[in-house]
Parts: sequence; structure tokens; C-alpha cells
Amino acid sequence: MIWLTWRQHRKQALYTLLGFAVLAAVLVPIGLSMRTTFADLGLTDCVNQLARADVAQTTRETCDAGFHRFTNQYGSLNLLAVLLITLPVLVGLFWGAPLVAREVEQGTHRFVWTQGVGRNQWALVKFGLVGAGVLVLAVGYGLGMSWWVEPLTQTAREGRFGLIVFDLQGVVPIGYTLFAVALGIFAGTVWKRMLPAMGITLAGFIGVRAAIAVLARPHYQPALTQTFPIDGGGIPEGDRGDWVLSVGIRNADGAMVAEDTRIQCPPGGKGPDGRACGAELGLKPGAYNWELYQPADRFWLFQGIETGIFVALALLLVYLAVRRVRRIA
Amino acid sequence: MSGTRGQRMDMVLEADRLGKRYGSTWALRDCSLHLPAGRIAALVGPNGAGKSTLLHLAVGLLKPDAGTVRVFGRSPYGDTEGLADIGFVAQDTPLYRDFTASELVIAGGKLNKRWDAALARQRLAQLGIPPDKPVGKLSGGQRAQVALALALAKQPRLLLLDEPVASLDPLARREFLQSLMGSVAESGTTVLLSSHLLADLERVCDYLIVLNASQVQLTGAVDDLVAEHRQLVGPRHDGGAIGGVAAVVRASHTDRQSTLLVRTDGPVTDPAWTVREVSLEDVVLAYLADGTTKTNHSEWGVAA
Repeated sequence: MIWLTWRQHRKQALYTLLGFAVLAAVLVPIGLSMRTTFADLGLTDCVNQLARADVAQTTRETCDAGFHRFTNQYGSLNLLAVLLITLPVLVGLFWGAPLVAREVEQGTHRFVWTQGVGRNQWALVKFGLVGAGVLVLAVGYGLGMSWWVEPLTQTAREGRFGLIVFDLQGVVPIGYTLFAVALGIFAGTVWKRMLPAMGITLAGFIGVRAAIAVLARPHYQPALTQTFPIDGGGIPEGDRGDWVLSVGIRNADGAMVAEDTRIQCPPGGKGPDGRACGAELGLKPGAYNWELYQPADRFWLFQGIETGIFVALALLLVYLAVRRVRRIA
Repeated sequence: MSGTRGQRMDMVLEADRLGKRYGSTWALRDCSLHLPAGRIAALVGPNGAGKSTLLHLAVGLLKPDAGTVRVFGRSPYGDTEGLADIGFVAQDTPLYRDFTASELVIAGGKLNKRWDAALARQRLAQLGIPPDKPVGKLSGGQRAQVALALALAKQPRLLLLDEPVASLDPLARREFLQSLMGSVAESGTTVLLSSHLLADLERVCDYLIVLNASQVQLTGAVDDLVAEHRQLVGPRHDGGAIGGVAAVVRASHTDRQSTLLVRTDGPVTDPAWTVREVSLEDVVLAYLADGTTKTNHSEWGVAA
């Protein structure tokens, strides 16, 4: 069985590795150049200093300027990062969907399932080996991406919790990739033709990923709130890397006055017409800025939870696929 | 239980009121038949009659929805060990097209406990099949031979072939059947081949199963079937009993004369009837015609 699986998929494995090698050949030089610039602008030092609470105002301004220059130079790479998050689903499309669908489409399941190896064993060995191969690939991808996006995430305010970069690095790519492959396999056992199976895999993957990222992820842990006055001080520092879920301005009694906005007034500031700062928004004395967020140090917890969800979904789909294989003739 | 088995020891394949349903349509229904050991049996019926379904049930690809099917006394669905005794060549002889014939022989060895790779190589060498060419690039006849060689390498006691010659040209057909007969003659393997054309199999088979509209119409040894059927020609028949006739399979009438194909249970002595012997094909066609007069007038929206 192992020999057969290897013989059937060796060409595909070669092409996959080749694809990843080409990708690495493109990304590694970019990553190295990003890191050189990052160090040259003194941003490594900045990251360390900004992590401390008692950072001087001048340092902060210098660092912000440096971050700004870095972002100007490399910000467009965030677009590339968007493209890179499609890799797990591509693996699912080309490794998962054809695994059963292609056998059935070409009729070879009637050859292989009527030899001396039971269908359960066939399915488990095949799914297991492909799963293991894909797992190695996903670990490499996750590590590589973590290294590659690090400078980009460190200069961005929301840090590693950013909408694209969270999905790109750490352990979540493992969950996504296994899920995509399992979804592909399952779709192949239901629709039994490669193209429909691939289409369903693509649609299903996007749907589930979006639903979990948008609906579930912000609630893995109860979000924290912080408040700060509207005059002077401004946004408290030290929250770099926090994932801000929502902001607004509340009056002293807690009623939300203006959503999705913040205000900063000079101490005791008045508008040109003599009204108090922010009065046009309906602010009363004692109003404050309000923010709901997930702190930066929950990054690995969130990564773990999200990976767990997708691995569990993958296992469920593989179980269903094995059951369906018994019904195909 | 042991009594039944002892009685049926010589039965390779037994189906009892076997049925398989796809959605609400029965692909096979109330199918009861026995295939004795050592026979070369032809499974004949028009396309869609349920031949593939019956073979898939016999090789354990499908699970029965009704009744039972037993091969060597075992229920084949999910029975991996029992598979060792069954060689199966599916319709259109599906093989991994990018594998070479030699790699397929290796694959078979990895997938089976009992595997005679030397036999397979011997056969393929004799047939002049190139070992290093992907089987997808071989001709249809050569690919069918590869599939047959792989099935025989299992040293099966029952060989099931689903429309093995349907896609072959006449020459390849003859070669395939010849090489099949040559190899099963020595081993005493029971063979069940399906085809929608009796002519393909008439020369090689000694047992016949006729399937039509998802039901068994006729089953038995070819010699017996030919011996017990007769064509009677005589005065217009009104349906009354005729001495020696067990059943009228098919009747056609003109104004004054009737032509009947009948199953006999004794000599027909009535001098009013001219008795003629029939060929196997006549018998099969008579039984097939019997089940096919199904009209579709309402579905087409026309008057009957």
C-alpha cells in the first residue's frame, strides 16, 4: 500500500516540492532584504524599547518615523501576503480533492478495492500518508512565513494579530492545510468527480475560514476593555500588537456616543466657536475614549485554539470520508 | 447450516432474492441464481439490465439492499479475505494509466497475499506486451490482456469479467477469449463473463444467465437449455395446453398459423405441430423479448 501510494503520487510530490522551492527562491531574498533594511533603520532596537512602558517621547517619535519609512518601502508586500494565504487551499484542491475522486472518475477504485487490501485500510494508509506529507509541508510553510512576515508585523500597529498575518504564520497554517485536504477528500467521496470536488472544496474552505475568522476568532477569550480620557495624553502606548476589536466614545454614564471613532483634545480645549471639544458629537463633560481589544500576549493561545478547531474539523471530515468510501462502487 | 453448505459445496456463487436499489430504482431485484463450480458462465442481458450491479455485488463492491449473495459460502461485502479467491476485471478494464505493466505486476504483489508474479510476467511476455510502456498508451486489447493477467495472478477460484470484450475489435476479442480459455482450462477456475451480446460469448460458455430489466429471465447449462426448448409451428394457437410443453416463452401469430418458442417437459407428439430445434441465440432472444415490452406512452405524452 505504501509503495502504491508513493508510486501514484511521486510525480505530484515532486511538482509540489518544486513549486515550494521556487516560492522560497523568490521569498527568501525579499525576506533577507527586509531584515537588512529593518536593522539598518535601527528598528530592531525600537521594538525592544517600545516594549517597555517608560519609553521616552523622543525615542517613540524616532521609531515611528523609522517604521513609517519601512512601511513605505515594503508595505506593498502585504498584497503578496494576501496571495500567500491561498496556499493551504491550493494544497487541498490538488492533493485532497483528487485522492478519491480521481480513482472513481477513472474507475481504478474497482481495480484497487478488489485486490487483497480492504477499503478501510486503503483509505487509512492513503489518507495517512498524504496527511503526513502535507503536515510536513504545512509546518515548513508556517515556520517560513513566520520568519518572512516578522518585520512586516513588527512595524504594523496591530502586530501579529493583523487580519492577514495572523493566518499566515505560527501553527494555524497546519490547521488550515489539514482541513483543506480533508475537505477535498470528503468532497471527492461525495461528488466523485475531480472538478466538482475541487469547486466544492474551494467554496467550502473560503466559507468556513471566513466564518471562523470573522465570527468566532474575536470571541476565543472574553475581550478586554480599556478607557482613556479625551483630552491630553492620547492613545496609551504599550498596546502595540493588541488586536483592537472596536472603539468608540462614551459619556460618563457609559452610553455610547460615537462608534468607531476616537477623539483627542488639547487639555481644556475649546473649538473655534467656543464650544467644548467634541460637543458637536454630543459629548458631555466626563466623556472618555473606549476600546475593546484582545491583548497581544494572547497570540499563541488564539493560534492554538484556531488550529484546534481546524484540526478537529479535518478529523471529522476524514472520518466521514472513510465511511463514505465503503459505500462507493 | 452445515447440511446446507454440504449440499451446496459445488456452488461457487449463490444469490437469493438479491436486490440492489439506487434511489427508488431497483438495478437488480429478486435475483436468485446458482453458479456451479468449474463452469464458464455467460451473463447476458441488454445494457442497463443489472449485469454490472450483479458482478459488483458478487465482488463485494456493493452491499445488497435485499436478499443475499454468497461466494464460496461467504458474504463478499467487506470481506477482504474472501477477495483473495475472486479475480475481477471491471468494465473498460480500468488500470492506473501512468503505471507500466511491469509496475502493475509489482503493485498487485504488494496488494495481495497470494500473488503469482511469475505467471503474470510469463503471460504478458507471451502476448508481447511491452513492460516499460505506461498502460495508458497500450491498445485497448493489450490493456485488457494486462488486466486479465493481473486478475489471473491472484490465482482466483472465481473469475468475474464485466464486459471484457465490449470495447475490443473482433480480432482482439477472439484473442482475448482464447487466452482466457487457455488459462482457465488448466486451473479449473469458474468464470462469469458479462456481455450485452450473446454472440461474443456463445463459443466459450457452457452455462448461461440471462438478465433483463433487473431480473433473471433464464439460467442453466447451455446444453440443457438448448435441449429443452423447441420451436413449434402449427395452426393458430388459442392458448390451450399442448402435450409436452411446460411453458410458451414467446408466441407470434399470423391469421392461420402460430409460431411458438416453448420450454418442453417431454416429447411433443401432437402431429398438428411441426417441431424444430432451436439455437441458443433463439432461446435468449425469446426470453429477452419477453421482458422488454414496456411502453412509455404516458411519459412521452402520446396516446398508447
